[in-house]
Amino acid sequence: MLAFITRRFLFMFVVVFGVSVLIFSILMTFSPERRAAVYVRSPQQAQNLPQLVESLGLNDPFYIQYFRWVKELTHFNLGYSVVAARPVWDAFKSFLPVTLELNLYSVPIMIIVGIWLGTISGIYHDTYIDHITRIFAIIFWSLPTFLFALILLMIFYGYFEVFSPGIISDAYSVYIHDNPDKYTQYTHLLTIDGILNGRFDIAWDAAKHLFLPVVTQVMVIIALLLRVMRSSMIEETSKDYIMTARAKGADKKTINFKHARKNALIPVVTVAGWLAAFSMSGSIEVEVIFTRQGLGWWLANAAIQLDIPVIMAMCMFMGIIIVTANLAVDILYAYIDPRIRLS
Amino acid sequence: MKKCILVLFLSIAMILGAGSAMATPDDTFVVANYGTVGTLDPAVCYDNEGYDRLWSLYETLIFFKGGETEQFVPLLATEVPTMKNGGISADGKTYTFTIRKGVKFHNGEEMTPEDVVYSIKRSMVVDQDGGPSWMLLEALTGEGGTRGDDGIIPGIFEKIDKSVEAKGDKVIFHLPNPYPPLMGILVNPLSSVVSKKWATANGCWDGDMANAAKFNNPEPGKEPLQGVENGTGPYKKKLWETSKQFIFERFDGYWGGKAKIQTAIVKYVPEWSTRKLMLKNKDADRVHVDQQYVPEVQAMKGVKIYEVPTLSITAALFCQKLETSGNPNIGSGKLDGEGIPPDFFADINVRKAFLHAFDRNTYKKDVFNDLAIMPSSPNIEGLPYHKDAKVYEYDLKKSAEYMKKAFGGQVWEKGFKMIITHNTGNDQRQAAAYMLAENIMSVNPKFQIDVRNVEWKDYWVVLRQYVYPIFIIGWFADYADPHNFMYTFMHSKGVYGRYMGVSNAEVDKLAVEGIQKANPDDRRKIYHRLQDLWYELALGVPVAQPIGIHAFQENVQGYVPNAMMTTHSHFVNFSK
Repeated sequence: MLAFITRRFLFMFVVVFGVSVLIFSILMTFSPERRAAVYVRSPQQAQNLPQLVESLGLNDPFYIQYFRWVKELTHFNLGYSVVAARPVWDAFKSFLPVTLELNLYSVPIMIIVGIWLGTISGIYHDTYIDHITRIFAIIFWSLPTFLFALILLMIFYGYFEVFSPGIISDAYSVYIHDNPDKYTQYTHLLTIDGILNGRFDIAWDAAKHLFLPVVTQVMVIIALLLRVMRSSMIEETSKDYIMTARAKGADKKTINFKHARKNALIPVVTVAGWLAAFSMSGSIEVEVIFTRQGLGWWLANAAIQLDIPVIMAMCMFMGIIIVTANLAVDILYAYIDPRIRLS
Repeated sequence: MKKCILVLFLSIAMILGAGSAMATPDDTFVVANYGTVGTLDPAVCYDNEGYDRLWSLYETLIFFKGGETEQFVPLLATEVPTMKNGGISADGKTYTFTIRKGVKFHNGEEMTPEDVVYSIKRSMVVDQDGGPSWMLLEALTGEGGTRGDDGIIPGIFEKIDKSVEAKGDKVIFHLPNPYPPLMGILVNPLSSVVSKKWATANGCWDGDMANAAKFNNPEPGKEPLQGVENGTGPYKKKLWETSKQFIFERFDGYWGGKAKIQTAIVKYVPEWSTRKLMLKNKDADRVHVDQQYVPEVQAMKGVKIYEVPTLSITAALFCQKLETSGNPNIGSGKLDGEGIPPDFFADINVRKAFLHAFDRNTYKKDVFNDLAIMPSSPNIEGLPYHKDAKVYEYDLKKSAEYMKKAFGGQVWEKGFKMIITHNTGNDQRQAAAYMLAENIMSVNPKFQIDVRNVEWKDYWVVLRQYVYPIFIIGWFADYADPHNFMYTFMHSKGVYGRYMGVSNAEVDKLAVEGIQKANPDDRRKIYHRLQDLWYELALGVPVAQPIGIHAFQENVQGYVPNAMMTTHSHFVNFSK
């Protein structure tokens, strides 16, 4: 097991290197002027594009530009993000907790509830429970995330005047900034830090701001997990070994939840692993509509504006996350099905 | 089970939601906007959103007088210099300012005339590519920048050094030539006063011209004052979370007295629905409203809307010398019914035909909900020496007549194909493009025009390659003077003039003379003539001068609209 994990971690460096060369090559297909245009904020500034290209060395050959970037990387300098108006690493540290906190609550809920609903739907398939869950899945899987987010915002914030958009109330935001000695940001996750500092009011406020984004993210992704789990469960419960167990008069609960569900989980684990990994790159719609600027918002804007240092950094980050998620999925496979040997 | 889930969900919602939304406190002002700021360095910042922050943090020698863009009040100076009070010399080349005493920077240090001199010089020395330094450099040294094709222009730093000096409590500007818009440039945040001691300690130029080259053209984002400030303004930076929010805190040592608003917050809210709800729930005191959403805001109660004509123009400009190789916008590149030749718009008949095909009144009403002024030339309303010049009225019969004359009748006989481009996401420009295309196509079925959109950044890059037969583009005033517009649009070396391929000796001569004359009567004659020439030469379609919409909570007092400050919330004057 240890050798397997070590091998996969070493593989991560190869993946990150490959991703960086690939993405850098793709970005080089844009003209130097196009890549310099990220620094232009007004027609007035656009007059100086050739000078910008020159001073930023964007006319240099591909390998020189790539090695210049790698050289900076070895000095732990990921470059400067024009979109975020600060160094990439600083911006990453600031945006990551926003995305992380959203996923901390939404990912476990969507996995647990998705699997549970999928199991129920599969067991009781073609009954009214199945019909309801299927309708639920179809509605939320077809509903665009931004639209669902807007509907929630209109109802709760617009009509009931609860759940303000943003990350935290202004007064708490200022308090945290002004009182570094009284309020330590251990994790930079507002709900956790609030509790650790004994400031339950801050944690509560952050939780209120998280509620609608979490609901949006969960409802949309749950639909996919539910459908996968349901299909897998139906397939599993129709297999011979389940029929045999039933014929032998084994307990229904044991058959469904111990035997069938465990085997049905294998495809769901793969999907859930990928969903969790991709959630870490942020949900653009949720972040934009609920004004929670996290990694998703940052990456989308960086891609639109060709903010190359950000694109490179985020692609490498995603490479690491995907490799880690795959590793976690492989380990879970072995746990779920002991016949799978990681060696 | 389902019932339980529903009850649980609603319970959580009700418990969590209790008391979430509330109106902002009386001493707090919240703005919801979607612009982002790149830098807080006054010598580098060159966009309206950045100006919005800097005008509250830093101060200039003079400032706009209320809503006026050409009249000023003293700020860090004690008096606005005029020829009458002797502050401006008779030849218009020397400006003398008496510097206010007792003004403190945010770090408690007292401002001196040396700080003013240092700040102005630093703003020229820095001269970042694409930055605003050209304004001061052009006025004070006669050069448009510090660098030429061969690097730093020899002697430029000496010129900068001699351009401004401190004598006792006075600061004196020495201009090589009269430069009437100087006062407008001195209001720009570029002319903000920073503390020399503090700036030097933060890694800025040390004031010695021998070292100036080292501080010239810093890489974007690496300017030393990018994220820090120490101005004399009524507000200090409390917290800047880029792309999230900018929080100002009242500066209690402000020389002009304490402002009523103690905390001002500018929040980055890109989604209109969220901004609208924030306004409705009184979580924001002011929100940015794009024109298409105005009816929604007008229907809201408790909201006050200000309509302020901006000093900006959108125009559809003809390119008279198109690039043929690899140009997808001109078809075959020949006048054979399958394309247009590179000099298609060099024929004035073609240009006039297009001008007569633009229905100004319908465009204003349908596209702008009447929230626009229809300009007659780039010298728009609100600029000095503006006049209502002649315009080409919408008349498709005349359009057809001009097309019949174009290229000796060949255009009418053979027809043409071309593409009009506009930048992606700009619905108003898209509408102008379609209006021109459809009206021209209705004149003769042999005329075929397609409309395509290009991402804004790409639009700019490609524009420089002379491949757009018609490009629809905007310009916002750097300062309220016709030079900033007429030179840009009409001179053969102007920012847009060069890509229109215009070349007219009279225009070039007048556009240069306009900035060199100090006498208002002389300038009036020049700019009136240029406005007439815009019509006579049919250089482009002045599409619209938008009216900016500012939505405030009804209880906010003290807002004075100013066309030069489109996004600026002048918190110092506000109360609730």
